[in-house]
Amino acid sequence: MSVLRIEDLCTHYFLGEDRVQAVDKITFDIAESEIFGLAGESGCGKTTAAYSIMRILPENGAIVNGQIFLDGDDVVEKTDEEMRQLRWRKVSIVFQYAMNAFNPVLRIGNQIVEVMQEKQSIDKEEATKRVKELFDEVGLEPERIRDYPHEFSGGMRQRAIIAQALAAEPRLIIADEPVTALDVIVQNKILGLLRSLQKKYKLAVLLITHDLSVVAENSDRVGIMYAGKLVEVGSTVNVFKRSLHPYTYKLIGAFPSVKGPKRRLEFIPGTPPDLVRPPSGCRFHPRCPWAQEICNLEVPEYREYEKKHWVACHFAGEINFEVES
Amino acid sequence: MSEKKAVGTRQYIATRVAQTIVVWFGIITLNFFIFRIMPGDPRGTLIAEHMPPEVIQAIAIRFGLDQPIATQFVLYIVNLFRGDLGESFSHYGQPVIETIFAFRFWNTVILMGTSILIALIVAIIMGVIAASRRDRAIDVGSTTVFLVAYSMPVFWLGLMILYYFGFILRVIPLAGTITRGIVHVNIFHYVADYLWHMTGPLVVLTLSFIGGFYLIMRDSVLDIFTQDYILAARAKGLKERAILFGHAMRNAMLPMVSVIAVNMPFLISGATITETVFSWSGLGLLTYNSVVANDWPVLQGIFLFLATVAVLSNFVADILYLYLDPRIRY
Repeated sequence: MSVLRIEDLCTHYFLGEDRVQAVDKITFDIAESEIFGLAGESGCGKTTAAYSIMRILPENGAIVNGQIFLDGDDVVEKTDEEMRQLRWRKVSIVFQYAMNAFNPVLRIGNQIVEVMQEKQSIDKEEATKRVKELFDEVGLEPERIRDYPHEFSGGMRQRAIIAQALAAEPRLIIADEPVTALDVIVQNKILGLLRSLQKKYKLAVLLITHDLSVVAENSDRVGIMYAGKLVEVGSTVNVFKRSLHPYTYKLIGAFPSVKGPKRRLEFIPGTPPDLVRPPSGCRFHPRCPWAQEICNLEVPEYREYEKKHWVACHFAGEINFEVES
Repeated sequence: MSEKKAVGTRQYIATRVAQTIVVWFGIITLNFFIFRIMPGDPRGTLIAEHMPPEVIQAIAIRFGLDQPIATQFVLYIVNLFRGDLGESFSHYGQPVIETIFAFRFWNTVILMGTSILIALIVAIIMGVIAASRRDRAIDVGSTTVFLVAYSMPVFWLGLMILYYFGFILRVIPLAGTITRGIVHVNIFHYVADYLWHMTGPLVVLTLSFIGGFYLIMRDSVLDIFTQDYILAARAKGLKERAILFGHAMRNAMLPMVSVIAVNMPFLISGATITETVFSWSGLGLLTYNSVVANDWPVLQGIFLFLATVAVLSNFVADILYLYLDPRIRY
């Protein structure tokens, strides 16, 4: 059974009369011991999807449709108190701005002990011992649990954040841009750590990033989001090597490759759409070089084009990406 | 690591001590000259109009007023360090130290201390709660109530309380710190009588203090709520009480500490009106009477005291930050 299954999730933000359709009918699942990479430009709804799972949306945001099954339980149906108890026990999150995710005036160890004591019946001494073990596990000196956040470097803080995410033995970890603020060397170390812990604890990981190289190297399966829609989902190899959606193709083409022949980088003309009034039909059609009339008129169905390779494009598999029309 | 921290902390404290001393010296100098450029001759109050010139001369000599300003200044500084602030003009030669500290100081400290403490506790708790229930009934309600209390002139509020509760209902006394002419059976009787007299000014001062503290606390907490670590605390599924009082309050206290420190002397001198309305014999009432009587030495003493309180409370605030904000313990 999948650890996380999202069906037709719609999350909107309400701005006065307007509503921003930040996440619109997305469907995917993550199995045990699986890393699912969710990629897309800034503002495409990745973080909103993550916050929906934990139900920590800002006050003007709401899940308006769909289901989110965590271990078979629909979290959309939960009361606030049930949800509060579920958080960190079933799902924990590594934040986008992990640098600031620790309270600056409290000792790091105490902040992790706090959540352990809240989520498990464990006394303070036992919890402190566990935090020391976790610190050791993520490559930090156990004595430094008495340090304050500002005494840690960025990479160390990220390690502590990961230790904290593991504190209540969750089934799913959401890593929202976990390494964006770090330099490449530290990025690799942190991602390596995340992968090894994920294997050891059979964790499901939702890895959110705009950095396609991070997704390509670390995930088993990949979902590509564009303007609140999930446009393509499949195994990492399939999505990267046999892209079905024009946006996926263009997005991957926009990243320079270290290997292979030199080629001109792709770019996508235009800007991402306004999600208050998204384009009709396929949301990508105004920027798509292969768009036809139907793309403007009908929303493409999100379908399983080939086994375990889903796409939302009218012309999936029919486009020759080498030739722009 | 910890040794380095200790050095940093010691250096921080040493710097603050040095700064405090320099500022204090600036203040005692200013404090002398400020009265010399003030209009009005203190001899006018001391001396009746048709006194013979030799008496006027004798009085001027008695208080050192015949000396040149520079000599007066040297005398002032030297005496200051001997703990001698001179003699009061209007209290018939009573040493200023005694005029200020014998009982008036304690009356003010007890009154102000209690009202500030109550105001702070109420303001902090209500500020945190209001911020967490932004725009809901409790937030709008408490903000309105505290703002109204904050904007009411204290003399008016004081007079209203005196009139209705003192004069009409007769539940609080009209003036003073204790009932005159009665013999207190024991210390408890005395304390009860004292507290009974304190009720009126205490209510007025507390009401006038809460508003400012409350608004700053509420604002500060609202600001803290936008911080990532609060979202993180929510994501961790902590109880709301733990988030509010464990994570938000302590950070929101940081600006509060500065505000309290800066306001400390205002809080004491601000009691002038209230003390006058209720005839509460404290430093506020003394200030008022001394200004009326052109009593330089006493005013000098009070100003010196207020300035010292200001400097010291800022120093204490800096030290408190060490405890509240670990980032300062470099």
